Amino acid sequence: MRITWPHMGSLEFVLGSVFEELGLDYVLPPPNSQRTLELGARHGPEFACFPLKTTLGNFIEALEAGADVLIMVAGRGPCRFGYYAETQRRILAEAGYDFEMVPLEFEPSRLPLTVKRLNRLKQGRSWASLYRAIKFALHKAHLIDRLEQQALHQRWQDREKGATTGALKRCYRMVWEAGTYADLARVEEEAFALLRSVPRVEREEIKIGIVGEFYLVLEPYFNLNVEEQLGDLGAYVERNIYLTDWLRPSGERPVLGHHEHGSERLAAPYLSHRVGGEGIFSVGDTILFQRLGFDGVVQLMPFTCMPETIAKSILPQVSKDLGIPVLSLVIDELTGMAGVATRLEAFADLARFRRRARADGIELAPQPAF
Amino acid sequence: MKVGIPGGLLYYRYGRLWNSFLHALGAEVVESGETTRSILNSGVSKAENESCLPVKVFYGHVLALKEKVDALFVPRLVSVKRRTHTCPKMLGLPDMAKAAVGDAVPVISPTIDFQSGLWHNYRAVYSLGRIFTSDPRRIIAAGVTAWREHRLYLERLTLGLDHRGALRGEADRLLCEGRDLRIGVIGHHYNVYDTFTTMSLLERLGSMGVDVMTADMVPEKLRERELKRLPKDIYWSYEQEVAGAILACSRYRLVDGIIFMISFPCGPDSIVRVLCEQENRLMGGVPMLTLVMDEHTGEGGFLTRIEAFVDMLWRRKRREAEELEAVAV
Repeated sequence: MRITWPHMGSLEFVLGSVFEELGLDYVLPPPNSQRTLELGARHGPEFACFPLKTTLGNFIEALEAGADVLIMVAGRGPCRFGYYAETQRRILAEAGYDFEMVPLEFEPSRLPLTVKRLNRLKQGRSWASLYRAIKFALHKAHLIDRLEQQALHQRWQDREKGATTGALKRCYRMVWEAGTYADLARVEEEAFALLRSVPRVEREEIKIGIVGEFYLVLEPYFNLNVEEQLGDLGAYVERNIYLTDWLRPSGERPVLGHHEHGSERLAAPYLSHRVGGEGIFSVGDTILFQRLGFDGVVQLMPFTCMPETIAKSILPQVSKDLGIPVLSLVIDELTGMAGVATRLEAFADLARFRRRARADGIELAPQPAF
Repeated sequence: MKVGIPGGLLYYRYGRLWNSFLHALGAEVVESGETTRSILNSGVSKAENESCLPVKVFYGHVLALKEKVDALFVPRLVSVKRRTHTCPKMLGLPDMAKAAVGDAVPVISPTIDFQSGLWHNYRAVYSLGRIFTSDPRRIIAAGVTAWREHRLYLERLTLGLDHRGALRGEADRLLCEGRDLRIGVIGHHYNVYDTFTTMSLLERLGSMGVDVMTADMVPEKLRERELKRLPKDIYWSYEQEVAGAILACSRYRLVDGIIFMISFPCGPDSIVRVLCEQENRLMGGVPMLTLVMDEHTGEGGFLTRIEAFVDMLWRRKRREAEELEAVAV
């Protein structure tokens, strides 16, 4: 039984840590690449959403690398994500692969089934050890998230481009190697010290928020490193969702430090009902970022994503009312790096000009989204 | 008070219900009528690029009504059946309509959600009625009338009338008249019954001498039975209907061929398509043509494919008949 799961940002460190703790066999899919995308797009349905194709590509590459048990989260909509596991099972079975798909569903009526599946996955390890492993992994996830946040906040001041990113990579390694809570506490201090020791220069500050669909926000390869690009353009960046929010869906958002309800309340004048996925938070958090004094918001959405399409059709109104520029980036397998880079550059310039103008007390036209 | 009902999306299912309810309450109901070229064009220019075709058409209908009415009626249907959802686009529809018309016209949007029980829905309908009248008896009477009209409308669809015929109650032109070849045209109501975006597909098939079977005409019992066989249940209400109809058609050979109507880029349909095509193949069902429509679909290409599909079905039918004869001899 060789278990695998799709990539999503730093998820590999978190789930990997669970399996290491339990001493179970697992295979990581090869890192995301153009080939992942091509495989996914070839086998996946034509206008299914982008993450379905990329995770399908991950699965195929992992199967080629010798995995035979695939883990995927499933649910009950209304977004398509809940049906990914079943669709991918059908596609892979038809493509002739030999595997077992284990969808994990966490709604109350399906919990008994999920417990049974987890029981099989843990292969005779005790429930107590599984609990301990997961708890430890969640601690790691929380630390990784805070480190990532620190990187987002400081990258714009780097004296040399890429210094923070390099330090962050070393931090990942340190967290990965930590085996006990004592280790983790030590790593936390060292990692933050390492990040803070990156040489800085004084620059003019602009603040840009990232909202959107969680997979694209969390997965740097497929969002074309938007965070890093913005950081290099001199922007203090904050994103609205971290891995911990997704792994512990309590609505708490420990890294960002506010509750989902707050975001929903802010969105209410524009979007008064949950539309699945992160649709309502894309709207609410845009307003939140505006209140926190951000100069612009970048919305990331996979092509044909239903909740984000709704958010995207409402955001121009928000942008006009509040005077915050919103850049919606629609990403799919045909999105080119250069196009995104150009638009981000223009957007960062726009945010900078607006900030200067505001400082000089110049009247600004409400900026429609583009 | 003039209330406008945009003639897109769920209008093709609940239009009769909404119209008669509002009418019975004493509102002056204005409908945007059937989709036209100009409605589609204005919708396409206003709506988000990534929206699906029916949402763009809906935008067009909203804009067509904008100047003519005091309020727009766009209900929010969250769930119409226990343990299911409608499509996310329908959850956000009133908000999208608001963003489209701005503050010029208020949008009346009661929330219907069968996951939160009957009382909640009763309250929603009642408070909708209170906008127009303060007489509770009148609201309840209007509700009863509207529901009766709605049942009648659905019954007519089941009997084999198309949307237009069912609205007017013309019982003379049926889609299914017992001709030799029968094709299942399955898809969402707004994909199948919209004569403009489908380029009068139902009518054209009729004039080719082909019987048409829509998802409404497939017995509900068969649909439900097919859905129960699936390893993971489908959680979109209308998608259940579509998938159930396709699977029932192919398992029980209710039709000679299936045309699956999808609009680009419909989210749930992209998933259900994989499921239906695979199941149909696995059970050795009937030939299936998946037609994806968008605002650029040209009439020529569309018709060629349908004619080719119909020709193929005829040929297949004849061959089967010949083989049967040969065996009998």
